[in-house]
Amino acid sequence: MSLERHEKAYARWLAIGARIGFVALVVSFFIYMFGLIPPGIPTTELPRYWGLPVAEYLAATHVPTGWGWVHRLPQSDVLNFVGVALLGFTSIACYLRLIVDYIREKDWLYVAICVAQLGVLLVAASGLLH
Amino acid sequence: MLDPSLVPWWAWPLLLFAVTFLLGIVAVVGGIGGGVLFVPIVAGFFPFHLDFVRGAGLLLALSGSLAAGPSLLRGGLASLRLAMPLALAGSIGAIAGAFLGLAMPTRVLQLSLGIVVLAIAALMWGTRNAGETLARTPDRWAAALGLSGRYPEASQGTIVAWTVHRTPAGLVAFAAIGVIGGMFGLGAGWANVPALTLLMGLPLKLAVGTSGLTMSIMNTSAAWVYLNEGALLPILHVPSILGVMLGARVGVRMLKKIEAKTARSIIIAVLLVAGTRSLLQGLGI
Repeated sequence: MSLERHEKAYARWLAIGARIGFVALVVSFFIYMFGLIPPGIPTTELPRYWGLPVAEYLAATHVPTGWGWVHRLPQSDVLNFVGVALLGFTSIACYLRLIVDYIREKDWLYVAICVAQLGVLLVAASGLLH
Repeated sequence: MLDPSLVPWWAWPLLLFAVTFLLGIVAVVGGIGGGVLFVPIVAGFFPFHLDFVRGAGLLLALSGSLAAGPSLLRGGLASLRLAMPLALAGSIGAIAGAFLGLAMPTRVLQLSLGIVVLAIAALMWGTRNAGETLARTPDRWAAALGLSGRYPEASQGTIVAWTVHRTPAGLVAFAAIGVIGGMFGLGAGWANVPALTLLMGLPLKLAVGTSGLTMSIMNTSAAWVYLNEGALLPILHVPSILGVMLGARVGVRMLKKIEAKTARSIIIAVLLVAGTRSLLQGLGI
């Protein structure tokens, strides 16, 4: 039994994306915990906020929503979101890779599924929905 | 319960790591994702608000499924072709669920979480002895989508042919699972596998792998919503991800020593305690 070409390519891209995302997530966390770069919210003050509903937390801390966090880089708590975003982009990259194969094979049903899934993921990632 | 104000801030990530390490072991041995245990336990016994716990639960489930995805695909234990349409339905549901969850009052959410967790415990209890009812012929949708293939059954040293039936019902089920997963940050393995086996007639082994792959896509959609809505706290999600992933590695080694049946009983008991606590919190008791 041989694996489909798509599955091999998807597995390869998934492995690379996940690895990069995890490394970014963990490295940025230790930078944050050990105070190597100052955070936006000092860790000692966090217990005042982490029990609040997200709307009250945002109002109290002025943490931006959407892609606003990018403007607060390199604050170390925000730096961690780079890792989260990389994990989030992994499936998007995998689908971009898949769609090329399906177009080559003229498998239009799966091209349509890829386009729809990419649309859903990109809309979610855009922060346009509220 | 421990007064949270007496505990220094730095102790919480360490405590989270320790608890999620244990959850990772139990989850692997019991054959479920960590998210379904993580959310009710951390929401019930840690000082973090449920909004952040749900975001962390989703990231936890996403990390686990992304890490497992490549080896599942390479081992022929997940079908990408089957996962894609189901993940599309599930992703739309997960985004809707994430927004619904973030818009709901905390009390209502806690109450609903309690009910869902107790229902999951009942589902696990009810399906613990469910046998396989494999699909023999594909329905029209499955035939059009080409949802059939073969996978290696290592325990018998054979290659097994598979297909699915009731595809439209499967798509609706995955959309509904997506809503619940996105709303409560529970991941989806607890429901994906029964939907794939009992509803669509997929062999269990392939269902577990395909569920993991589907989760990596569904949870990505909901995780973006939580990130964009500001509902992520690194101090909560990173120690939890590390704890569950390391625990899962230990759990794999313990698979031979602990019976899956025992682990599932522990999980059902933990779900009953955590679900009841969430229910009581929701009722203000």
